[in-house]
This record gives sequence, C-alpha cells and structure tokens, in this order.
Amino acid sequence: MDQIYIPKNRTGFPIGNYVIVTPVMSSLNSKKIEKLYFYGLKSLEPIKLTVIKEIFNIIDKKMENYGNIIVTGSFLEKGFGFNDIDILIISEEKANIEIVKEYIVNQIGIKPHIILIDNKSLIEGLSTDPLYLSMLSRCISKKRLIYNVKTKINYKLLDLQLLKSKIVIDNFDILSGNEKYYYLQNIIAIKLFLESKKVSKDSINKIIENLFKMSKDKIKQNLIDKKEFIEKYKQIYNKTFKHIMEHIGHESK
Amino acid sequence: MNQNKNKLIDLFIGNISNAIVHEILEKAIDIEEIRIKYNKEIITSFDIAKHYRNKINPAYKPFSSKDQVEIKKKVMNKVRNELQSRILRGYKNINIESTEETVDKFLRKTNIIE
Repeated sequence: MDQIYIPKNRTGFPIGNYVIVTPVMSSLNSKKIEKLYFYGLKSLEPIKLTVIKEIFNIIDKKMENYGNIIVTGSFLEKGFGFNDIDILIISEEKANIEIVKEYIVNQIGIKPHIILIDNKSLIEGLSTDPLYLSMLSRCISKKRLIYNVKTKINYKLLDLQLLKSKIVIDNFDILSGNEKYYYLQNIIAIKLFLESKKVSKDSINKIIENLFKMSKDKIKQNLIDKKEFIEKYKQIYNKTFKHIMEHIGHESK
Repeated sequence: MNQNKNKLIDLFIGNISNAIVHEILEKAIDIEEIRIKYNKEIITSFDIAKHYRNKINPAYKPFSSKDQVEIKKKVMNKVRNELQSRILRGYKNINIESTEETVDKFLRKTNIIE
C-alpha cells in the first residue's frame, strides 16, 4: 500500500476526515500554501491555526511594511483557556495598532494584545529580559526567526522585574490562579537567566513542578495550599532578590 | 474604619507602595536603552491599587484628614523600607529624598489626598 505523509500541525484537517489526493503541481497552481514557523510547540489545535492564519492575513492587509508577525502566549497553550492573543509585530515604522486590533476583534471575535516593536528593541529585549526569551521560546511566526543574541545581565533591570512578583505575597487571596502562575513564572525566568540557563516555557514549568510539587495547571486553576505555596514563593523570591542585590552592591563599589 | 475598609486600605497600601518603589527605582537605572519592556501585565500594581481605591468610600473625593495622615504614613514607611533594603545592600543612585514627593503624586492620582 502506498503511504501519504501529512504534517502534524495542519489547518482544518482533523483525523478521520475524507480527503482527495491530487498531484502536487495542480494544487500549487490553484492555491499557494502558506508555511508558518513553529517554535517550541509540539502540536496545536487546527482551529487555532486557522485563527492565526486569519490574523496574519488581516495584518498583511492592514499594514504595509512589517518585518515579521509572531503569535505567542496563552493562546498557544493546550485547550481554550486563553484570555487574548499575544501578537508581536516587528516593524521599523510606526503604525496605528488600534485599527488592526479593532479589525481582528470584528473579524475573529478574540481580543488581541498587540505589541509593535522594532528589530533593535526586540534584540535588546532578548538579550536583557528573561520574559522576552520565555515568550519567544514558544511561538508561531510568519517568517523564520533568526536571532543570535548574547545575553547581558543588568541587575537593576532584573530587580525591577522581580519587584512585580512581590504582589503575590500581599495579595494571594485576591489574585487568580493565572495571575499567580504569571508572577511565579516571572521569578523562575529571572532565576534561570541569572544562572545563565536556558529560559523557556518548558524549563520554567519543570522548575515550578519540582519546587512546588504541583503542575502549572493546578496553579492556574488556583488549586493551591496557601501556606505551603507562600512559604516556598517567599523563599525563592528572597533568594533571587538577594542574588540580584549582591551583584548590584558589587557593581556600585 | 470598619474591618472590611481596613482590609481594602491595606491592600491599596501594599499595591500603591509597590508602584511607587517601581517608579523611584526606574529612575535609578542609568542606561536609557534598557528601559524597554514587555508590559504584558494588564494588572499592574497601580491598576490593582486603583481597583481597591474605587471600592473604598469616599470613592470620588479625598479621605478625612485623619485617614489621609494614616495612609500616607503607612505608604511612606513601606516605600522607605523597600528602598532602604536596597541602599543597605549597596544599590546606588536611589533618590530616597524623592519618596515623599512621589508618594504625594500617587496619593493624589488615586484621590486619597487633595
């Protein structure tokens, strides 16, 4: 029997669908197949791929000059628990993002969170900000991503970023599971960055699971033992803070 | 102040203090180009503080003089402690003198003081 290989990530083509097999050339002539670039993703629901392609089409129509479009964040997580779609548009020119946002909401019905950033700022972000690294460790882009970035540790900047996560200590009861996970992820990303280790969604989640003995899903669902969680959270926050302060102190001498 | 109001005020103080410390520390960073950020979080400390503020009566006018003094004192202490913990560890360029001015600015923005 002859075999046909099809990509694992495919649009509108779930298992069990009937298909027509046609010669490659006639398909290519009738419609150009658009290739997307996947980073750190094993699979994605076909409906989400359709949404991403539609978003890329909208941006393509609404913006004249852009370098690349990157979709990242919770939209790429398994399931449909996302709040919005995080979109990074790499462009050297300024553009009215509000129009693009409005169009996406009207056409697709999902709220986008768009960041317009130029290439230099993105590279700067990737070299100094662990959240940028984590963000691009799992993403889908319109064009291939080629970034050879050397990390630069700026302790004052990391101190500012770490400060964001202090909020959980004072506001445990009122923050949602997703927010707690976000702030915890922030600390772990900083910790990995300081240790010159790979900062990615997977490496962050592994550390969270090891330290807190619970999956990220449990944290996101807010199924947390407060006392145990806060104790570990404070420990890791204080340790990271101390690490940063030691270096700021040395730098200032 | 009743218990619920006190709890809301404590939450407000924690978050507004965080936002103020953030602003003062931002000014201590001497390299302009590293200030670019990925401001993903919709809920920042200041947004949360505003959220609590709106739940505390009087929501649209400043607090009584007694409450104003009490809240300002608590915020000042929290901010100073956070900044001091950095200065003691050798963090330079923190303008601790600007604490009161920044606290006033934030308390005005949130309608705590006039």
